Amino acid sequence: MSKHFALRDLVDDRPQDGVFRVNRAMFRDPELFDLEMKHVFEGGWVFVGLATQAENPHDYFTSFIGRVPIIVSRDGEGQLKCFVNSCPHKGVRLVHKVCGNARRHVCPYHGWMFDSSGANRNIKWKKGGCYSEAFDEENHDLAEVARFGEYRGLLFASLNRDVPSLEEHLGEAAKLIDLVADKAPNGLELVPGRVTFTYAANWKMQLENCSDQYHFTSTHPSYIRILEERAKEKSVEVVESSIGSADFWTEGAQGVTGGTMSFDHGHVLNWGIMPVSNAIADFERAEELAEKFGEAKRNWMFNMRNLTIFPNMQIAENASSQLRVIRPIAPNLTEMQTWCLAPRGESDEARRFRIRQYEDFFNPTGMATPDDTVCYEEAQLGMAEQERPWLQGHARGMTATVEGGNEYADLIDIKPARSVLADAQLCDESLFASYYRAWAQRMQEVLA
Amino acid sequence: MTALSQAEAAEFLYREALILDRKDFDAWLDLFTPDCLYWMPAWRDDGTQTENPDRELSLIYYRGRRNLEDRVKRIRSGFSVASEVMPRVSHMVGGVLLDHADERTVKLNSSFVVHVQDVRVNRQHSYFGRYEHELTLVDGQWKISEKIIRLMNDVVPTMLDVYSI
Repeated sequence: MSKHFALRDLVDDRPQDGVFRVNRAMFRDPELFDLEMKHVFEGGWVFVGLATQAENPHDYFTSFIGRVPIIVSRDGEGQLKCFVNSCPHKGVRLVHKVCGNARRHVCPYHGWMFDSSGANRNIKWKKGGCYSEAFDEENHDLAEVARFGEYRGLLFASLNRDVPSLEEHLGEAAKLIDLVADKAPNGLELVPGRVTFTYAANWKMQLENCSDQYHFTSTHPSYIRILEERAKEKSVEVVESSIGSADFWTEGAQGVTGGTMSFDHGHVLNWGIMPVSNAIADFERAEELAEKFGEAKRNWMFNMRNLTIFPNMQIAENASSQLRVIRPIAPNLTEMQTWCLAPRGESDEARRFRIRQYEDFFNPTGMATPDDTVCYEEAQLGMAEQERPWLQGHARGMTATVEGGNEYADLIDIKPARSVLADAQLCDESLFASYYRAWAQRMQEVLA
Repeated sequence: MTALSQAEAAEFLYREALILDRKDFDAWLDLFTPDCLYWMPAWRDDGTQTENPDRELSLIYYRGRRNLEDRVKRIRSGFSVASEVMPRVSHMVGGVLLDHADERTVKLNSSFVVHVQDVRVNRQHSYFGRYEHELTLVDGQWKISEKIIRLMNDVVPTMLDVYSI
């Protein structure tokens, strides 16, 4: 196979020269996009959902791995399984609902039937079908995905068998998932109500934006002003604010206000110090969490944390707790599936507060996300430039990056590959290198 | 004072639509009571919407006109890139049903389509669904004390603000 793309033309990664640059073609090329779908999304571990989305026997939900439709189903014995959502007979998508409960799934086209463990239970008029022996020797069950695993209630799958174990894939970043899961002693759940939006730009715009502290004050000043006014007003009527109670993003904040961590396999975190206060919905369990996990880990649970598990899952813990799943549709079109994450059994007051924060900040119908998505689209237009193809957006923090962790990472015994400790104006961009190195790793077969 | 007739109720909704099309936000805010409910529930699954806004997510949920004032402030601030080149909108309201009417309160159910021309990128789409209004008589004037927007096409292309629904 001829290789149309050379990695060095797409990602200029020369740490010894202090250079890390990404070519605009990465965001717009249709041929490259097809390769990404096959090798990044269908060629390695991706996030598929939460175990609580299929909690009881025969519960199921549907989703996609890359372009491939899947079903996650809990069988009669309580075992979670993940199949390709396609009838072996004619390829028809078997289950159309987003979620439900069913012991049997019958294909609407020719009536082949499968149970909740994916086993074929009936081929309509099999005996009268004059099938050859060769047909009988074929496996008629739903195709299980090559790899499927769970970590702390988060489900991951890979269509490619030849990948590291899930444990190895998550690596030290698993400890950041622990911070989210440990906050919820009775387990995590998705608050009912899914919010989906699209934007006309490449999926990597969202990938980066979640970890991009630099944009906050320049993209969201209209929202920040409202936070400031609400903080002054403190009336019962207005939606209260978590971010307004912290200063990690403000120009004048002194000393270390947060930083970033980068991990192998493309996972990254950017974080900011937030006080343990009632401006965060989890405050009702602050004491309990300190007793159980120690004060240092509890304080980390209250910090602003934007975590990406490469390539498609992001958990944003800042104004509220958001789970985002990135689904690329085309080089210039991305679908975002988003949910509010919450601990089971939290009080009505905490839940109400969490939801109100969430809607205003995270929803595409709110007061912050539209200013992001419009910027993604404007960036996509600018990606057409070919004369000066190298972006200058991956350079901040280059000289602040150190190998390994720092004293804040040590507090939760986490060992990132690289880290940055930052004041409010540093706004590290060097963490993005982790995304592109993992991207290159998954694409290595097809890049010269 | 008698309750609104069906025709008067429909006219009220048409006027609200006109105000939104013109983006006359002061007039729009003035349509609401100070303690109004403004609520656009999310979809729980393929066929049901969230019902309890305190335990389930909404697309928009505000109790109190003060929060709508914040939305308007943001749109007008000059600091929101999503509000810089304003989409043009055209509301169509129809099928206005009078579900309840007494001297002080009227409940309406109607359907809406809003055509949106996103001028910034020369792209058009629409939002459609149903409105549920509760109007209350305050000092001789009918005001919106509740507005529930049931959005059917809830996969939002890029953004959705209060003038597009």
